[in-house]
Amino acid sequence: MSFFFQELVNGITTGALYSLVALGFSMVYGVLKLLNFAHGDLYMVGAYIGFFVIQWFGGAAHITIPVPLLLLIMFVLAAGLVGGLGVAMERFAYRPLRDAPRIAPLITAIGISFFLESSALLLFGAQYRVYNTAEFISLSSGIQIGSVTIDSVQIMVLVLGLILMTGLQMLVNRTRLGRRMRAVAADREAAEMLGINVNRVIASTFFLGSALAGIAGVMGGLLFNQVTATIGFIAGLKAFTAAVVGGIGSIPGAMLGGLLIGVAESMVTGYISSTYTNLIVFGLLIVVMLIRPSGLLGQAQLQKV
Amino acid sequence: MKGRLVIAAAAVGSLAVAGCSSSSSSTPAASGGGSSSAAASTKSCVASVGFEGPITGPVAPLGTEQLHFAQLAVATDNLANKTKITLVQGDTQLQPAQATTVTQQFVSNPAILAVVGPAGSQEVEAVGGPMARAGMAFISGSATAVALTTGKYPTFFRVVSKDSVQGPQDANYIVKNLHPKALMIVDDQEAYSTGLVSAMVPVFQAAGIKVDHESVSQKVTDFSSLVAKVTPATTVVVLPWQVAANAQQFGRDLAQQHKNAVIFGTDGLFSPGTFTINGSYVSSFGPDITAMPADAAIARAALQKFGSFGTFGPPVYAATHVVDEAIASVCKSGQTPSRSNVLAAIKATNEPASILGQPISFDSHGDLNGGKFFLFKINSSGKYQLIPSS
Repeated sequence: MSFFFQELVNGITTGALYSLVALGFSMVYGVLKLLNFAHGDLYMVGAYIGFFVIQWFGGAAHITIPVPLLLLIMFVLAAGLVGGLGVAMERFAYRPLRDAPRIAPLITAIGISFFLESSALLLFGAQYRVYNTAEFISLSSGIQIGSVTIDSVQIMVLVLGLILMTGLQMLVNRTRLGRRMRAVAADREAAEMLGINVNRVIASTFFLGSALAGIAGVMGGLLFNQVTATIGFIAGLKAFTAAVVGGIGSIPGAMLGGLLIGVAESMVTGYISSTYTNLIVFGLLIVVMLIRPSGLLGQAQLQKV
Repeated sequence: MKGRLVIAAAAVGSLAVAGCSSSSSSTPAASGGGSSSAAASTKSCVASVGFEGPITGPVAPLGTEQLHFAQLAVATDNLANKTKITLVQGDTQLQPAQATTVTQQFVSNPAILAVVGPAGSQEVEAVGGPMARAGMAFISGSATAVALTTGKYPTFFRVVSKDSVQGPQDANYIVKNLHPKALMIVDDQEAYSTGLVSAMVPVFQAAGIKVDHESVSQKVTDFSSLVAKVTPATTVVVLPWQVAANAQQFGRDLAQQHKNAVIFGTDGLFSPGTFTINGSYVSSFGPDITAMPADAAIARAALQKFGSFGTFGPPVYAATHVVDEAIASVCKSGQTPSRSNVLAAIKATNEPASILGQPISFDSHGDLNGGKFFLFKINSSGKYQLIPSS
């Protein structure tokens, strides 16, 4: 039984990362009906920012400031800078194509993904950058329940992930910005006619979604230690899958999808074999799509004729 | 009359010019048979040798070390043989696709007569065909998959032993010295890794050890779920991986989940700056040349010029030296070096001693005759200590 709970903890932790990245996918799709394939690379940029913050403050083995302050700076900087990058992407790459055929922004998104990856390769090199989390957050810190171990980094990822997802839900459902985002997602033209500044709402959506991906990148660096220019591809693929399984355009759906994918991976690895992880997880995706094409929490779209 | 004299003078003049250029120093012909040159000597022995290695990418520290030792070998051999061999670098990032691109560049460069590298078995599989079609010899200092020397790549050679030697040797060591009742062996889905697993698993099963064979892509960095499967009875985890950083993360996850299993890794994990898990074992095709008196001068030169190194550099030094000596021998025989005569000279290599502490000669499929592996254990300071062979 303890083995089950250990795998559950591992799966929920990874799933929380997928959820945070999937939220950005869903939010952007919700307002723009655009699959932003460059979103996974924002996760990569966030991870690099976190790495360089560690180096800025003395390197993993000689951190010159208290660790909680270091983590706060990492998360805030990653959120701010990656959020800004997301806004820039929207402004210069997607906005001019807003009324173009759907294929145009899709191709642009793929192009931006390669652009970000290649830029990172050029700027930072292809070597693995290592967070060395254990140097500033002890491996023995955390809690142990029987033989189930949950370390501090996992606890932080779970708690912060929960806070961010809850916060986003509240923002979307209870704030003026959230109302405007929902209005633009429902009908962009009508929202514009009602006086909503659509450009500002879309930019805010991109900022929020990208910031979440940046924060997820830092979390990924702390959990898995390694950062290269290509980590965004896997993260983006898993997050996209999570968003689709949960219901693309649905924020609760993205959260659920991410957790499901994370736990499924963990359980398959634990109870069957790591060889079959991707086979079974993506097989499940196909099954969910066949049974419920709009995703688990997605809503079927009415098409007016 | 005047016209005829002019024409005759021009004809004599052109004959004189042609005669002068045919007796001048030879050109670095890259293909076809070599042409004789009456005045050829090693002093005019000019050639280029390609280097294919992961200079950047996930194993950049290993690739950079290989490059440094190749450069050292070329510099030393040029001095000793009075040759002018130039090393042309090609970065493969350990990716077959990238290695193919680099190989195509090398093949279409007529100045390049042979290649040192590539590093990974999967890269050799990708470039073996183009190299064979170009008639270009290539010698790897680290590709160990058995399938590479079945005869399908007639211009491939290696100065290290292969998985069919390393796999059983390492597996027997684990069985006889670590006595696991159960172990986990994880491949990284590349040719190098799966080849070793195929060679090791039968030895474990024959010894009655319960084997959990897992598989993860090199791109995976989250091993927490896999580590959770390590039971108290699983005292050894075998990681025949190419990316040392991944193994380091695996070791961290083991520690974080309070698992006591010992990691046993192979060549790809030999990375003193990256893989430092205390108590781990690493099996390598290269010796520790700092402990070999015959290699003291090379070790000193390498340390001075490039800093600390592991076991990936010396085999590449040996490989480059083989190529350099082949080119020099062709020049000494009065021929202009070309791909075909350099290939023939490499096939005929018979060095009684080398930086690897053993003679170098190749069998008919390009394998090193008498190759062996070396075992190291990592201590608490991250230092790799050689375990004497019994």
